[in-house]
Amino acid sequence: MAELKKEDLLKAYRTMREIRDFEERLHKEFATGKIPGFVHLYAGEEAVATGVCMHLNDEDRVASTHRGHGHCIAKGVDILGMMAEIYGKKTGSCGGKGGSMHIADLDKGMLGANGIVGAGGPLACGAALAAKFKGKGGVAVVFFGDGASNQGTILESMNLANIWNLPVIFLAENNGYAESTGVKYNVPTPNIADRAAGFNMPGVTVNGNDFFAVYEAAGEAIKRAREGGGPTLLECKTNRFYGHFEGDAMTYKAPGEVKQQREECDSLKIFAAKATASGLVTAAELEAIDKEVAALIDEAVEKAVAAPNPTEADLLTDVYVSY
Amino acid sequence: MQSTKSSVGIIANPLSGRDVRRLVTKASVFQNAEKSNMVLRMLGVLGKMGVDEVFMLPDVSGIASRVIHSLRHVRAAEASSLPRVTFLEMPIRDSAADSLKATELMKERGVSVIIVMGGDGTHRVVASASGDTPLLTLSTGTNNVFPEIREATITGLAAGLIASEKVRVKDVASRNKVVRCEVNGVRKDLALVDLAVSTECWIGARALWEATCLRELFVSFAEPDAIGLSSIAALVHPVHRSDAYGLRLVVAPPGEGFMTVHAPIAPGVLVPVSVAEISEIRPKEIFRVETPRGTIALDGEREIEFSDKDSVKVWLEMDGPLTVDVNKVMQKAAKNKVLVQQREG
Repeated sequence: MAELKKEDLLKAYRTMREIRDFEERLHKEFATGKIPGFVHLYAGEEAVATGVCMHLNDEDRVASTHRGHGHCIAKGVDILGMMAEIYGKKTGSCGGKGGSMHIADLDKGMLGANGIVGAGGPLACGAALAAKFKGKGGVAVVFFGDGASNQGTILESMNLANIWNLPVIFLAENNGYAESTGVKYNVPTPNIADRAAGFNMPGVTVNGNDFFAVYEAAGEAIKRAREGGGPTLLECKTNRFYGHFEGDAMTYKAPGEVKQQREECDSLKIFAAKATASGLVTAAELEAIDKEVAALIDEAVEKAVAAPNPTEADLLTDVYVSY
Repeated sequence: MQSTKSSVGIIANPLSGRDVRRLVTKASVFQNAEKSNMVLRMLGVLGKMGVDEVFMLPDVSGIASRVIHSLRHVRAAEASSLPRVTFLEMPIRDSAADSLKATELMKERGVSVIIVMGGDGTHRVVASASGDTPLLTLSTGTNNVFPEIREATITGLAAGLIASEKVRVKDVASRNKVVRCEVNGVRKDLALVDLAVSTECWIGARALWEATCLRELFVSFAEPDAIGLSSIAALVHPVHRSDAYGLRLVVAPPGEGFMTVHAPIAPGVLVPVSVAEISEIRPKEIFRVETPRGTIALDGEREIEFSDKDSVKVWLEMDGPLTVDVNKVMQKAAKNKVLVQQREG
């Protein structure tokens, strides 16, 4: 039960606001047709990435998903570089050659967003094995969705992590839909966390829209992993406010479902209400962050649009590793 | 809509047992497959005791589907003695609202008793609406104080003996105490066993598993062989469920109290708790919470956040749920030879 000080609360709110504004803005920018490739927006799930990554340092590794912008921001990847990457520009995090689904920044411990569903499990196990050999208390976190929870890669990774007692956290972001398939149709247990029992691993389910619930449970899981206690399956039940990808009409959701979620389950609204009621932060302090973040996102888009494209010569860079 | 036939309700909460205690303590995971098996074991004996109908909480998490599947494939010899099983028609929200709605519907249908399968949290929800309908409590987990840890067959048998009027409910049921609270004059949820004032600011992951954040503890009863926060009080001053008082305990910083209790506050967790004060509390005696900011935990789970702008009051009441003592039911059954058939001639 780690105590959250005023500066922690403001930092958490800033991260969540950055993710929300980044995604809301991308929703608009993608509609202009200027962004190449696909984007999958994380809006609605901010409390999960933020509550987890606040416990991590740059040495800790995160393996992300196709819906990875939130994980990148929470892990400290530069927002200007991310926006430029999504625009396919030379100034992007990966030189504009990866795009939304391959944003990576190893200096920040971000192993990368990933276009392959469930592919993060083995990556996180590898990173966790390295951390275990180094013996400095490093951990790895793999984020995956309810759809990916059925993939062999994730289940095999859970098995491996428990056999080898790896410092890895399996972070299930259950937003209720595997693309367009409701979770009740493709997961046979009430909770994804229930599967932990089959691997002799703790399995916990928390409200993924409540930063405080995620922060606390993730803190315990990460602390346990750092101290050699082994892996944990932590399931955060949350919602995504946009489609599986931009352009998805979400005909599989009930009329009014997203509207109701935005009204009742908005992680930023829940956070702001709780944080201000506690008396530890004021509404004015949160509004000041809103303004700073809005300016940052404006700057990110302006710079991304104005930045140069990669050149033909860039095609042959970053392909092979030199030994 | 009162039923003229004998009927029993079963509320098996499919969501119990997945909280953070699986990570921070040694609490076990209770599988829904076992909850289905418990229901099936109870149905068998309920039918043999002459219960006509069983109303059940519907769910989409596997308990109901396994029960339906098993009933479809039951052998003909068994089928004739099974009660009719009716899943209540109600929206399923996958939350505590389901248990609450099911309790109300079962009361409307006039069930003799409601069997509740879940933890302290599930029982608290059902208790808030059960009124004069007696409850039979069954723990599905390692972390509970209010419900009994007992083989479901015997609980089913006790329910059947009451529903078929072979044992009179007034001889075996009693009213429980509860701890109630209000915030700024608004009545909040109740605690069946313990209400704790914690300095943790946030509801967060709900459970309380560290004693350092505890400031005050109010218990309706305190059994020395129980797990959880009430054990702190119980190991100093045991209070029976039927005693007309509860306890208030003030926690001191480590080592500063007049005694230190080593209490099992969660499964596998034995911690020292320094005690500043402990005293008996009487029904309706109101206590104002002086801690400036924190959370109120009901039966071990943080439920209410408060700050220095809020006025929080706590008191004991005698108007809790009516529960059946299974041991007494079976004692009555044995004394009256209800389940004994003498050989003729």
